[in-house]
Amino acid sequence: MLSGGRVHLGGGHALQQKAGIKDTADQIFKDWVRYDAAVAKYSDRDLVRVFADENVASFDFLVENGVEFRDRPIGPEAASTVPRTFVTLEWHVPSEVYAPGGGRNGSGLVRRLEESARKKGVQILLRHEMTSIIREPDAGKVLGIAVTRPDGSLNIEAKRGVVIATGGHTGNVNFRRTFDPRLTEEYQQACMPYVYQGAKGELAAMDIGAALWATANQTNESGSAITKTRHIGCRWGYSSLVFRPESKMFPLAKATGLTVRDWQDMIFVNQNGQRFWNEVDGSYRFFAAAMAYSGDPSKLNGGGPIWAIFDADAVAREKWDPQPPHVDADGYFYSADTIAELGPKIRNPYQKKPISGEVLQETVNRYNAFVTAGADTDFKKPTPMFKIEKPPFYAAWATPILHDTLTGLRTNTHGEVIDIRGAAIPGLYCAGECQGGFAQHGLARCVVFGRVAGRNAAKRVA
Amino acid sequence: MTSDDQSHATTIEVIDSAPLEVPAGATVTLKVRVSCPRGCDLTSIPIQIGAAAGALVRGGFATEGDRDDIAEVKLEAPDRLGEHRWSVTFGPYDVAGIRHDAVTVSARTRIIPNTTSLAVWSIPSPVVTGAGFAIEVGAKSSTGAVLAAERLEVHDEAGEVIARGELGGTPYRGTTALYWTNVELVAPAREGLYSWSVAFEPKGLALAHERASTTFSVLVVRPPEHRLIIKLIEKDTLAPIADAQVRLGAYPAATDSLGIAEIDMPKGVYDLNISKAGYEVPTTRVRLDNNMLIEIKALPAPGEDPDAAWLM
Repeated sequence: MLSGGRVHLGGGHALQQKAGIKDTADQIFKDWVRYDAAVAKYSDRDLVRVFADENVASFDFLVENGVEFRDRPIGPEAASTVPRTFVTLEWHVPSEVYAPGGGRNGSGLVRRLEESARKKGVQILLRHEMTSIIREPDAGKVLGIAVTRPDGSLNIEAKRGVVIATGGHTGNVNFRRTFDPRLTEEYQQACMPYVYQGAKGELAAMDIGAALWATANQTNESGSAITKTRHIGCRWGYSSLVFRPESKMFPLAKATGLTVRDWQDMIFVNQNGQRFWNEVDGSYRFFAAAMAYSGDPSKLNGGGPIWAIFDADAVAREKWDPQPPHVDADGYFYSADTIAELGPKIRNPYQKKPISGEVLQETVNRYNAFVTAGADTDFKKPTPMFKIEKPPFYAAWATPILHDTLTGLRTNTHGEVIDIRGAAIPGLYCAGECQGGFAQHGLARCVVFGRVAGRNAAKRVA
Repeated sequence: MTSDDQSHATTIEVIDSAPLEVPAGATVTLKVRVSCPRGCDLTSIPIQIGAAAGALVRGGFATEGDRDDIAEVKLEAPDRLGEHRWSVTFGPYDVAGIRHDAVTVSARTRIIPNTTSLAVWSIPSPVVTGAGFAIEVGAKSSTGAVLAAERLEVHDEAGEVIARGELGGTPYRGTTALYWTNVELVAPAREGLYSWSVAFEPKGLALAHERASTTFSVLVVRPPEHRLIIKLIEKDTLAPIADAQVRLGAYPAATDSLGIAEIDMPKGVYDLNISKAGYEVPTTRVRLDNNMLIEIKALPAPGEDPDAAWLM
């Protein structure tokens, strides 16, 4: 619903042919097992082979079920050597789009599939939350799931199988720290407050013995597992997602954030009020510095909040209006007449102690001296351009935000979930971001393995 | 605890104690709980506050949730600095013929000065040796006090006073209480990066305030010898690109609507960096030994793509 709608499918499907792109399933496989690509080298090649072989059929499936694409290809992206990304058209009913006007074209995929499924008689149970998977004793087959719903609880029998497709784990602090202990509570999850990626499917499956798989993918440092907060001054400022005031989600999101056009317009400081890296950089070296040990002996993991500090001139250059609804003044945005006054004003649930005004002033004065001299000798920000000097001054939440889930449950090539001893769990399937083994960003792997899992579940004898 | 039916031992405790340090004139809230172990209703009985001369006291029993035995007392800290002792006394009182003994709880607080802070802006850069220039300096009291007519000083690196200023009567636009002024300065005769400081110590305020200081940098360069004119155009369309930021080391400029930026500079070799959202402009090395016009072609670049992080 909030996806950008980028579908990375190839293999020579109709839109690729129309654009004159030559592609094959074998080329997809070769690309996505490349040893020199961090996004590809940790993946399970058995699953990559299935992915490659199913690309054209999956694309056709989407088109047959009403999904519409722009003709223009994007790429080559990531490990791919030919353009494969095509973007879906946004769902045509604005009132049913949760982040309208922001290029969240994935609504045009999900809503179309929903529409098609309902026409085929599929029953969709909203406000039902799975609490556990019910399995026969002694490593028997999966019988169904237990759910809660507004009027109580319910067990739902699976006549053929259960497909876990619960969307990943990046919102679950305890679970995500399995892969990266630095990812403590201050790091927010992209797409909140609309959707919580809580590892519910993974946990339910692991409760009955399921294994994780290809966990190195989560920390391969090649993609969007961690991103910069591009909409600063609000809690959930994921790079391309804005909840505007007309969005149904706005009352929860509380602010749109101030969209950053030029990272030169600010410095970033950590919870101690000190710079930690070149602000223009968006690589994993930036994130490593942001999450570095801050010197707080009571918090050894995670780096604490990151704040963007800027002045009235930056506001003018960026054409910002630093007032609600653009900023969330309830803990995520502050202003003050002087820098020394600004630091102690910052109060936030994740900011363990106030920033010393003296330290923040020293940080800004030092940075301003770099701008005057034309060189940043601390962090090599290329040609630091703008001093932070003209009052009033601002502090905006800019803590990195978490996005992609790139690992999850182990499956075989039929989408069956595998247990910790290597045996299939009869009747349990998995697809999407809660499936491990293939680290590609976006919708394609969800679509491909969703089809694979659904098809194989449907084939099971009741 | 209880002595007998005619006398109940009252208890008193501080729930939220005063902070260890409080600025002069600041409001402090104390929360105390007064209770009778036999459950007598004490809420209508006043409490006595002991405070230093100059301290204002207001408050009394307040309902906090379902607790009506909590007194919230607001105290305005006196302007005399140093150790200060508050005391809260309850009783003795008779309630329905039963005596409640007097009880007292006290708290210590240090009264400290309020803070001030400074901002320095509109510092031209670079400045030519020996040239006069002006900066703007503002001061703010943590109490929001009016600082009009208060004086400040600018010091050089040796601590010598090189300029003085007097704050005006109106806060700077966009601020709540930043009083400000222009200060005239003269650049040193030698090139270099100088770190000067502003010192501010208000004298005429009713409440005690700390002094404040901050530093700022001034880059002093030798006089310009040549004019460098840069024309920035888009590579394919040859259209001028306005509002691009131009830097040659510490020399800044921006392109106008014709895509032109002009900078007067001394002879030398400079790296020309140009920044404009939506364009890529490679760094160009410029050897300036005469007046020069250079044309720079910028390549259109796609806007920042959130999914580009996915690229290797």
